[in-house]
Amino acid sequence: MPSIRVTGMPGSMGLTLDQVAAFPGASFGASIPEAIGNSAAPYWFGSIKPTWGVGAAGELTSSGEQPGELDYTAHFASTEETVDIRIRVTNRSRTPWAQSLAFNCFSPIGVPDVRDHECLRHWVGVRGKPTLLRSLPRRFGPRPAIQLYPIEGGPGWRDIPFVRNFACSPDDVALEPWMAVVAPDGQRLVAAASKPGLFLFQNREYSCIHCGPSFGALQPGETGWGLTRLYLVKQPLADWYARMKREMADIQAAP
Amino acid sequence: MVKQTRREALVVAASAVVVGLAAGASARASGDDDGVLIPAGPFLFGSEPSEAAAAARRYGFHRSWTEPETPRRTIDLPAFAIDRYPVTNADFHAFCRATGYAPRGHWQGPTPQPGTERRPVVMVSRIDAQAYAAWAGKRLPTEEEWEKAARGRDGRTYPWGSRFLPDRCCWNRDRAGAFVETLRVDAFPKGASPYGVMDMAGNVAEWTSSSPGPGSGILKGGCWMTQSPLNLRIAARGMSGFDNNQSLFIGFRCVREVK
Repeated sequence: MPSIRVTGMPGSMGLTLDQVAAFPGASFGASIPEAIGNSAAPYWFGSIKPTWGVGAAGELTSSGEQPGELDYTAHFASTEETVDIRIRVTNRSRTPWAQSLAFNCFSPIGVPDVRDHECLRHWVGVRGKPTLLRSLPRRFGPRPAIQLYPIEGGPGWRDIPFVRNFACSPDDVALEPWMAVVAPDGQRLVAAASKPGLFLFQNREYSCIHCGPSFGALQPGETGWGLTRLYLVKQPLADWYARMKREMADIQAAP
Repeated sequence: MVKQTRREALVVAASAVVVGLAAGASARASGDDDGVLIPAGPFLFGSEPSEAAAAARRYGFHRSWTEPETPRRTIDLPAFAIDRYPVTNADFHAFCRATGYAPRGHWQGPTPQPGTERRPVVMVSRIDAQAYAAWAGKRLPTEEEWEKAARGRDGRTYPWGSRFLPDRCCWNRDRAGAFVETLRVDAFPKGASPYGVMDMAGNVAEWTSSSPGPGSGILKGGCWMTQSPLNLRIAARGMSGFDNNQSLFIGFRCVREVK
């Protein structure tokens, strides 16, 4: 089977994913990154016009910059079931970033089998156990359709400025760094996982899922790497979960 | 997906259109009626916490997912008239023809696809809905007005009563996740509210003038894509979103003042 085709939209952070074996004929949307940089003041979709290109290994790349603030390159490498997005970001400002991140959007809104505005088939991980998102607390903020969650073992939502600003994270909920949407047949799913993961985001309005990677604390001139892996697989959740845990343990964020 | 900057810019631009249209508005009625009179008086708005929690539990959700609709309170509203049906493609087409407003992107050029004229218009942002309402000499309902029109005075859960009946509205009843679509706005006469207002559950989620926060609008009613009866309840509000979001499952209806 051919690898998943990833196509960047010229002048935009948007891209499409198609030729997906588990979802024949389907086209998925993504914005990667949809925001990037300092957790307290990231640059958003539209404020940076990236250049799409080809990397040293023949992979698709997307490079953007905000002069005097940051530059980044995202490398997209796909198989027939996964797309790995490795992002390198460099702090070009004169200000230390206590925390930095990418806000990577993955949207199955155009794919009926995994479009799930009601979160009926959204799954997350809680202390080693896949759990239905709808069984967990939700906190409604000024944008009721969205929800953000911190990651187990990481900073709490109040300690992530990017997350805190949305004011829609329930207390006492931390999740593993992945989110999946399972098809009604229970045999296929899509998911986003990050390493190191900083937060999860879910939007009922667009039925999109995000798993935001962290680049850590970056001093002026310093560079960090983060990885998001998208899964688009024909595999039951339990099998995929075991596989994903194994694969994410072995993979490195930096090339 | 958030897209703050671009959306905010669009809201400003589209708001200017709304103001311009309102200034030249004629006192036109939308749809094929002048609206259903909703008499002045009190009604039960929202849900009791125990009721909301029980509904969430019944459909497999944590109780916090229905908290925004609590507590139940008695609200006294003046009389108003609300469109019997959601604004249809034919209605919105008339608006576009009269004003030069942009046709919907999924239409066949300037006109709705043949056979969809009596289906609710979709791909309309709250800004689009406000522009239409201003042209028609009307406005969007508040969340409170929408709920009263949908449930009458007795606080019922669905427009037709307190028990979910799957053949009373357009929803994704097979739960297969496959696309279905909107249906004619008069397809479910047995789904009428106590006042005779139609399509208040399912078909399209409807914009209200009420906002949960800046740039966002409260949506009511569930839609053709809704798979859980939890989200077809009158009090539900979980899908509310950005003012300038155009979606295949969002439409609207209008209200007008009654002197």
